[in-house]
Amino acid sequence: MEDRPVDTFGLLMSGFATALQPTNLLYAVVGCVLGTLVGVLPGVGPAAGTAILIPITVALDPTGAIIMLAAIYYGAMYGGTITSVLINVPGEAASAVTCLDGYEMAKRGRAGPALAVAAIGSFIGGTVATMGLVLLALPLTRFALRFGPPEFFGLMVVGLSLVTGLAGRSLVRALVSAIVGLLLAQIGIDPVMGAPRFTFGRMELLDGFGIVPVVMGVFGIGEILLNAEAQAVKVFDTKVSSLVLTKRDIKDSAMPIARGTLLGFFLGLIPGVGAIVPTFLSYAIEKKASKTPERFGTGMIEGVAGPETANNSYANAALIPLFTLGIPGSPTTAILMGALMMNGLVPGPGLFKEHPQFVWAVIASFYIGNLILLILNLPFIPVWVAVLRIPYSVLLALVLGFCVVGAYSLSNSVFDIGAMLAFGILGYLFKKLDIPTAPLVLTLVLGPLMERGLRQSLEMSRGDFSIFFTRPISATLLVIAAFVVITSTFRALSPVRGADSQI
Amino acid sequence: MRRPYQITGVVLLLLAGFVAVESLRLRYYTSLGPGPGFFPFWLAVLLGALAIVMLFQAGLGRLEPMPSDFFASRGGYLRMGAVVVAMVATTLLLEPVGFCLTMLAVYLFLLLTLGRQRAIVMALVALGGSFGVYHLFVRWLKVPLPRGLLGW
Repeated sequence: MEDRPVDTFGLLMSGFATALQPTNLLYAVVGCVLGTLVGVLPGVGPAAGTAILIPITVALDPTGAIIMLAAIYYGAMYGGTITSVLINVPGEAASAVTCLDGYEMAKRGRAGPALAVAAIGSFIGGTVATMGLVLLALPLTRFALRFGPPEFFGLMVVGLSLVTGLAGRSLVRALVSAIVGLLLAQIGIDPVMGAPRFTFGRMELLDGFGIVPVVMGVFGIGEILLNAEAQAVKVFDTKVSSLVLTKRDIKDSAMPIARGTLLGFFLGLIPGVGAIVPTFLSYAIEKKASKTPERFGTGMIEGVAGPETANNSYANAALIPLFTLGIPGSPTTAILMGALMMNGLVPGPGLFKEHPQFVWAVIASFYIGNLILLILNLPFIPVWVAVLRIPYSVLLALVLGFCVVGAYSLSNSVFDIGAMLAFGILGYLFKKLDIPTAPLVLTLVLGPLMERGLRQSLEMSRGDFSIFFTRPISATLLVIAAFVVITSTFRALSPVRGADSQI
Repeated sequence: MRRPYQITGVVLLLLAGFVAVESLRLRYYTSLGPGPGFFPFWLAVLLGALAIVMLFQAGLGRLEPMPSDFFASRGGYLRMGAVVVAMVATTLLLEPVGFCLTMLAVYLFLLLTLGRQRAIVMALVALGGSFGVYHLFVRWLKVPLPRGLLGW
């Protein structure tokens, strides 16, 4: 990777020559299809799906196997979007935020544009992230590896500060939701000392609540309860106005896609961030950047374009630390690392020197795979949208069954089904009381990461809090977080002409 | 929305109190920084403060008016109850009875209670959602689902 640009270009071209061979192209197509289906199935997320499908690749040559597995990985990121938009049940946790506006778009007959912008944004985000891998991988990864516990803590604090961007009409209610999420995150084993907290002797609670039953419950079951209460017969406007994006949609999506690409790319370089963080942060950023933030949650295309782009940009960028330094940043990339090692390839700087043909073929296949994903999924949009024509009572029963299978298959435990029901009731109550649910999900994910970052940092500094301010990246992030909180609070407190205070 | 938020405020205050008491049973601080009880304690304090603000706002009447459909009709609560009953039954019966039979019964129950469909549609949905899904997950994806007493 220290080669000159012209050497890199030559290597990439030879990689394309290998990746475009008919068999490798076929593996990429199969991987994208399987990945999309895995993403659609609830509970079977990218990590489980990639692991389940490894046996399929055993008979393939190493290049073909990794091409297929990588295609499954980023295909699953797109697949999770489909159920989020159509039935308000995220196929995988990172797509939960798409429920907020994507499902509202579907209810207004705009499921097609929602899925289309997700597909296009995913393509752009994934392609740019792959370009980053080719051009900037090593220096960027070295920067990302400067993120120790203090920097991680700072990043999580920035993420939490953006909770104010997820507030609806009331900052108090948004903060209640955020605190409830943080409290739920306390359940389980303490991340530093290993002490059980709030488990009340239940073995199932030692790992805390998984994010998947929580999002399926809060979004999916909560919505089912609301529609059952209202005896919803016609939830979706099936007079679908258009299946394609209008000029206005494209104009409104452009900047969110650009921002989502950068955000997802940057966060993908940092091991341990997880796929949910970029999507929720992107949503919060788009809401803050919008001239009409109060309309988020009613079907704003920006609320789909940004997060879905960030999702795929993150997924592709997360491969950079894996390939350049042999550091898997997430469970799915760890599984990919295992697959590489099963094929006799050790990821890291040596991989580029010892197996350049393999590496560049796989990198070229990322470009091709992102394009295949776009080509495969766009024509299927009318097929997916046709699902909405199913009578709602039948759809409701199917979605419930879908959720049950998804929750159970996580860890073969009925406890997760019970947890999903409990969170569904919580989601219903939150909706009735106009308490936003997005802060709860965001803090449930960020809380443990933040606590671990804080406590590990203080162990490094032997209890000295100045560690956060003496390290430049950490200090910068904390200043950004303070700025976000102060400006959001000031905006919430200042009277708006013709409206009550938002506090 | 006064009464609902007053009730919510009280519930949150009680929750905050409970969490604070439980947190104090854990180690609050160590020589190297916060212990396991540190974060939950202060989160409970914050939650309590927010609950008090909520009660204050409700008391002052500075809230949105209650929507007309805030309370459901009797039929609405019965339908919601059906969904909850279906899920509780699933949780209790899935492992002893097995996935196929449990989901078959649950689908038929939901389709009968939530909306009338033709018998053929109900049969197809119930069979597909139970036996069909079992086949997909267990045979193709090798994801185990509970087999119950009858082995399926």
